[in-house]
This record gives sequence, structure tokens and C-alpha cells, in this order.
Amino acid sequence: MKKLALAGLLAVGLTACSSEEPQVLNLYNWSEYMPQQVLERFTDETGIRVVYTTYDSNEAMYARLKLLDDSAAYDLAVPSTYYVSKMRQEDLLMPIDRSKIEGFDKLDPELVNLGIDPENQYSIPYLWGTTGLAVDTADVGGEVTAWEDLWDKRFAGRVMLTNDMREVFHMGLRVLGYSGNSTDPDEIRQAYEKLSELMPSVRTFNSDAPRMPYLEGETDVGMIWNGEAVMAREVMPKLQYVYPDEGVIAWMDSFVIPKNAENPEAAHKFINFVLQPEISALISEDIGYATPNLAARDLLDKSVSNNRASYPNATDMINAEFQQDIGDDALQVYAKYWEKLKSGQ
Amino acid sequence: MRMASGLQQPFRNAVLILVWSWLLLLVLVPNLLVIAASVMTRDAGSFLSLPLTLDAYRQLLNPLYLEVFLQSLYMAVMTTLVCLLIGYPFAWSLSLMGPRARILLIFLLIVPFWTNSLVRTYALKLILATNGLLNQGLMNLGLINEPLRLLYTEGAVIIGLVYLLLPFMILPLYSVFEDLRKELLMASHDLGAGPLATFVHVIIPLTLPGILAGVMLVLLPAMGLFFVPDILGGSRNLLVGNVIKNQFLDARNWPFGAAASIFLTLAMAFLMFAHRLSKRRIGEEGA
Amino acid sequence: MNRWLSRSYLTLVYLLLYVPILVLVVFSFNDARTGYEWGGLSLRWYHALFGNRAMVQAMWNSLWLALSAATVSTLIGVLTALALHRYRFRGKQLLNSMLFIVMMSPEIVLAISLLALFLLVGIQLGYFSLLLAHVTFCLPFVVITVMARLSGFDERLPEAARDLGASDFTMTRTVLIPAIMPALLAGWLLGFTLSLDDVVVSTFVGGPGYEILPLRIYSMVRVGLKPEVNALGTLLLVFSLFMLMLSQWILIRSKR
Repeated sequence: MKKLALAGLLAVGLTACSSEEPQVLNLYNWSEYMPQQVLERFTDETGIRVVYTTYDSNEAMYARLKLLDDSAAYDLAVPSTYYVSKMRQEDLLMPIDRSKIEGFDKLDPELVNLGIDPENQYSIPYLWGTTGLAVDTADVGGEVTAWEDLWDKRFAGRVMLTNDMREVFHMGLRVLGYSGNSTDPDEIRQAYEKLSELMPSVRTFNSDAPRMPYLEGETDVGMIWNGEAVMAREVMPKLQYVYPDEGVIAWMDSFVIPKNAENPEAAHKFINFVLQPEISALISEDIGYATPNLAARDLLDKSVSNNRASYPNATDMINAEFQQDIGDDALQVYAKYWEKLKSGQ
Repeated sequence: MRMASGLQQPFRNAVLILVWSWLLLLVLVPNLLVIAASVMTRDAGSFLSLPLTLDAYRQLLNPLYLEVFLQSLYMAVMTTLVCLLIGYPFAWSLSLMGPRARILLIFLLIVPFWTNSLVRTYALKLILATNGLLNQGLMNLGLINEPLRLLYTEGAVIIGLVYLLLPFMILPLYSVFEDLRKELLMASHDLGAGPLATFVHVIIPLTLPGILAGVMLVLLPAMGLFFVPDILGGSRNLLVGNVIKNQFLDARNWPFGAAASIFLTLAMAFLMFAHRLSKRRIGEEGA
Repeated sequence: MNRWLSRSYLTLVYLLLYVPILVLVVFSFNDARTGYEWGGLSLRWYHALFGNRAMVQAMWNSLWLALSAATVSTLIGVLTALALHRYRFRGKQLLNSMLFIVMMSPEIVLAISLLALFLLVGIQLGYFSLLLAHVTFCLPFVVITVMARLSGFDERLPEAARDLGASDFTMTRTVLIPAIMPALLAGWLLGFTLSLDDVVVSTFVGGPGYEILPLRIYSMVRVGLKPEVNALGTLLLVFSLFMLMLSQWILIRSKR
């Protein structure tokens, strides 16, 4: 114990005493969305220390960036598709200097030059993935194939939803046959009413680590991100990732550099580092999401690239819908119902 | 009153200027800002904009949100009641112990208060979880066959709040019980009052300031401690604190968040007023 | 009340208060990866904790913040308590009530009001904003602790000092300050603990450039059950127990 305390003190002393200010990259990212060893390797290679701060929703990330706008808080953030366009339009981002980025040409042509950011002036794709159904087959008998099945009374108290307004409403809208990107207040209200029928069954909302309630045995069925499902299966093989009949929710997360970033140089270096096929492959293998980097995909272990949870095939993506920017007015409508949805049992 | 000497004035003035400016700049001004924010308009780009409006307050009274507030009031009131039910006999029993034992027991009561509250909330999660210790224990004893679903319920949040706030109920109660004079109880007995009558007509009125102080110290935090529902309540918005936090840090509707926080301030003012009133009444009766 | 009944009731409640803490301490030495089974004794979570650089940095930041917040609030708090005790001035009652209100205010109200102020004035969220916020909520507690001590103070001592020709400043330094030393230390320790424990206010006024322990713990705890948290909690428990003993020892010794 004494030795340990001494080691701790030494570690503290060393970090405090180093005379040279080491360069720092303030990375603002989703919880558990970057393997620790990638950060360490980056630091070893460049000498830049990464401060990893987390958020659990695009809304929280956006609000925080707005809040800290002038204080040059973060050098790199990872919003989902629809927030890239929102932030770009609101002039919150710094253009990315493509001359400092190698390997952009290796990205999947279908995932660049999208409407959210034509010619990728402000964003570089990091990972893409889907939100589908998680089913703990050890505890759930019978087939669960559709979002609608969550409404089944036998799942009372065993359902988990992500703590993400857009995703939960996306599911509600799809069950009613509407687009998951609806901006029609009436459709949103109907989705709210449908979802409020589900609420008594819902045990918990989680977007910090949606696999944990399943692993901890609190919930048996519900929403999950594909990468989280892949990670969960390593310790809990009975957990299944299901592509729901109404269509899975698809999204892509991209690196962006906030307008007032203090160290854009380091941010560019980090993007560059991640774009290396070897690193992209390592990330995809480690956290289970799909890399948009085609060169990396060739390096993947067969067990990963053939894993339908991480890399869906064409049938899995039938009815799938990409999340889109819906504008602030519609967001306010969602937000109002979301608040209400989360307030009761 | 002392005559102010030449040296005394500058010292006194410097201290007063320091503390007053601190309180004005970091308490009064910020609170005025919150009031101002509550009557402004939400703005998508920046946070607030003109014109001035009472929309946020109207929104508070909207049935949609009113329910949220009633819900959180219910959680706080339940927490306070449970604390009172546990704390009242506890403080009473404590006041009956010998003086040495009392010092030790009070010390033991404040040890948890000095420990990180997040960590303690987390420890409760270890116990209440479906595979947690409580369920394991009960199942090993053969009392239940299926694990109880305790975590992520309102009950779990109330347990968490009670666990964090119980000492704040007990300490003020203990101090009124310590002052409770035994002669009064004897007198009540001599005048023919039974134990129940003594309790209702003598003990409760005399300990009322302690009860109210305890209620105040528990009820207010119980509405604001947003991390307890986050950890034990499955991230539901069970407290006003969660609503305020969401409005400021997620939904970015500052006027509404500010109005919700003014609701909390008003609740505090009301409780303080009630407490003061009860103290004054006791004072008059005692005199 | 029945003596036996009241004693067993006390025991029961103390048991309930201490079981979670006990569980935490025991499980911090648990070798198993998951939170619930017992896998033998081990110090691996303590090793993991000290191997985590971000964590060590956050601990260091938190300690420094608590140290400075407690010191500044004690400084201002002691002077305020002295002023409230010794002088009559206009607005004295107001000052008293204002401190009381700050103490009673729900933390979250304080938090958002300060956030609004910092944004308006353009103070960067980081160490400085945290310091201002923490000093503000610690201040009333220091004042009350010191006032309690002063109210039991023999008024003839300062009079005697003044009769001997000591100026007000000298008298304060040589007579009053030593007399309130124990309360001053107790107030400092209380402020230190409050600052180290605070989650609510720091969530709002903290910035990414200065990450502190409670926020780090908060993001860990939200992810799920993490054995490192048990180890960290145990260390914090031992630390605060030490601080509490220290403050009690100071107070008891001073009463002699």
C-alpha cells in the first residue's frame, strides 16, 4: 500500500514538474468511442497529450460547444451527420485544411460529399453505424424482429432505450410508418403518443454505454448501437443484434474542428493519424463500428468484416434511414415531447 | 457601542467592502441575471434575445410541464417524509444516550456526509442492481426466487435521496431534542396527559422548529440533486434539477430553465418563512 | 422510550448508513472484473487507478482547487465573521440573511446563476470560474463556524488588549485570531470537503481545460459499474475520514 501511494505521488509529481508544456489536444467525443490504445499510440508518436472529454448526446455536445464558444475549449468533436450540417450552417466550424490530411481518397465514396457537407470542407467521416434491436436470447423467448415488438406487454420493465431524442422518436415514427426525419408536428405528436404507451415498459435510458444495462441484467430487450452490441457479445454471446423490420436507424459520425479551436494543428494531426488504414482497422475491430475507410476494411480480420452487426449487408439495410438535419423548429417540437416522455414511469 | 478609533475604521471598511462586493457580484447580480433570463425569449443562435415575454412562466403552467413539476415535488416530499419518519425517532433516541456515547454517535453520523456523495450513490447501485448484493442475499436465503427489479425505479431514487440527505434531517432534530426539558414532560404527565397526548400536545409543538429546519434542509436539495435520478433512476427527469439541467445543457431553452429555477427559489423562500414563523411562535410561548 | 427499543433502532439505522460504504470498501479489493462476484483479494483496481494519467491529473486538479477554494473562503469568511461579531453597521442584518440564503439555496440555482454571470462577463470556464463558484458556496459555512466560536468568546480579552494600547488591527492579530484558530481550521476543512465533493455546481461552471475528480467520477459512473470507482471511493473515504478526525481533534483540543 505504501509503495503504491508513493508511486501515485511520484506520478503526480512527474506530471506536475515537467518543465516543458506538452502540447494538448482537447478531444470531445462520445463515451467509449475511441480505444485507449489509439490515444496512447498517438501520444507516443507525436508527443501530443489527448484530453478526452465525453458527452452522451449530440444535443449536449452542441450546447456545450455553444456555451464555450469563445473560450477555445475543444480542438476536435465528433457530431453525427445531422449536427454536422447544423453546425456548419451556424458557422461554428473551422474549415479542414485538406493538404494536411492524407488518406481522404481512401474513404468510401458513398460516405463523402454528402448533402450535410458538400466536398467535406468541414468534416471527415470517423465511423458509421446503426441503431437496432438488442435481444438477450437467454431471457427472451420467441422472435423479436420489429421495433413494434417492444410494445409487447411481456417486456414490461425490461426495455431499454437510448438516451437520444432523435433516435427514440425515429423508432416511434417508423413504427407508425412515417419517416424518421419527420418535421410534421402532427406526426411527431402521434409518435409521442405511441411512445408514451411504451413508457411503462421502459426501465432505463442510456447513451453512455447502451450495452451495460443488458450486461448488468437490468434489461433484456430494446435499442442498442451496433458497436455496443459487438462489444457486449464478447462477454455475453447470447445477446443478439437484430435489424428491425421497420428499418434500422443509420448514422455517421464525423470529425469536426470547432471554429475557436486552440490547437487546430494537433486536430489535423489526429484526424490524419486515425485515417491510417491500420489505425482505422484497429478502431473498428476494437469498438465494433464500421469504418468508412476502404483501405482499412481490407485489413480487417475476417471475423470482423463478416460480422453483420458491424458491416450489414444489403438486406439488413432495407428500410434503413439515415438521420438528417430537421431544423430548429422541429427540434423544439421534439424537445417538448421528449421532456415529457422522460418525466414519468 | 465602542467609539471608532482611527485605525478601526479602515479595517472595518475594508472587510465590509470585500464581503459585500463578493456577495453582490457573485450572488445578487447572478440571481438578477437569472430573473432577467426567465423573461426573455429563447434564441436558437445565441442563448437569449428580446422581446421580453412571460412565455417561460406560461410554459411552466402548461399541463405538460406541470405534471413534471408535480412529479418532482412528489419525489422530494416522499424523500422528506421518509427522512422525517426515520430521523425523528432516531434523533429522539440519540438525545437519550449518555453524553459520551452521543459525541461518538454524532461523529459516526457525519462521517458519511464527509464522503463523496457520487461515490455513495454508486455504492447503492451495487446493492440495488438486479444481480446486486441485496437480490443475491435474498435469493440465497430463499426469500425470493426471481430477483426484484429495484434499480431504475422511483423507489431507488427515493432510497438514494434519503441515504444522502438523512443526516440533514437528524442534526436539527437532535438539537431541539437536546433542548427539550424533561420537566415539561413530567409536568405534562402530572397534569394527567397520557403518552400520546404528551407527544401530540407537548413534544411535537416544541420540536416543530427542528422539524421545519430538517424539512428545509432535505426538501430543497431533494428537488435539485440531478445526479441521483441519472444514476439510480434510469436517466429519467424525476427532479426539477434534471429539468433545469436539461434546459441549460441540452435543450438550450434558458428562459424556461431560469423560470424553473425561480420556482425552486420561491419554494425555498416559502420554507424559510414557515421556519421563521414557527420559531417566533415557540419564542412567544416560552416567554 | 424503551431503552432497548431505542438502542436497537439506532443500531439498525447506523447499519443501513454504513452498509453501502462497507460494500464499496470490500469490493475495491475484489479481483473479479464484474461488479458482483467475489474473485479474491487484489490491489489491481488501485493499480489501474494510478496508471490512468487523466485520473491522476483530475485528482491533482481537484486537490488544488479544494485547497485554494478553502483558503480563500476561510480568509474572507473569518474577516466577515469578525466584522459581524465586533462592529455594528448598517445592513448587518441584511448581510446575515444573505449569507443564510446562500447557504440554503439549492446548489443548482447557484450553479445556473453563476454560469449566466460567467458567460455575460466573459470569464472562461475553467479553474478560475470553479474557484469563484466554490468560494461562494463555502463562504457561509466558514462564517457560521467562526461565528459560533466567537459567540462563546470572553469579551474582556479584547477590551484588555485595547486598554493596554493595542490598535484594533494588533488586537485582532494577537488576541482574536489565536482564539478563533480552531474554528478557523474547522471551517477550512469543511470548505475543503465541500469543494472536493461538489458535483452540481461544477457540472455547470467547469470547463474542459481543468477537469476535476467529481466530474470524472460522474462520467465513469454513468457508463456503468466500474471497479475502479470502488477503489477511488475507498481512497476518498480514507482521506475524508482523516480530515474529519483532524478537525474534531482540533476542536476538542481547543476546548481544554
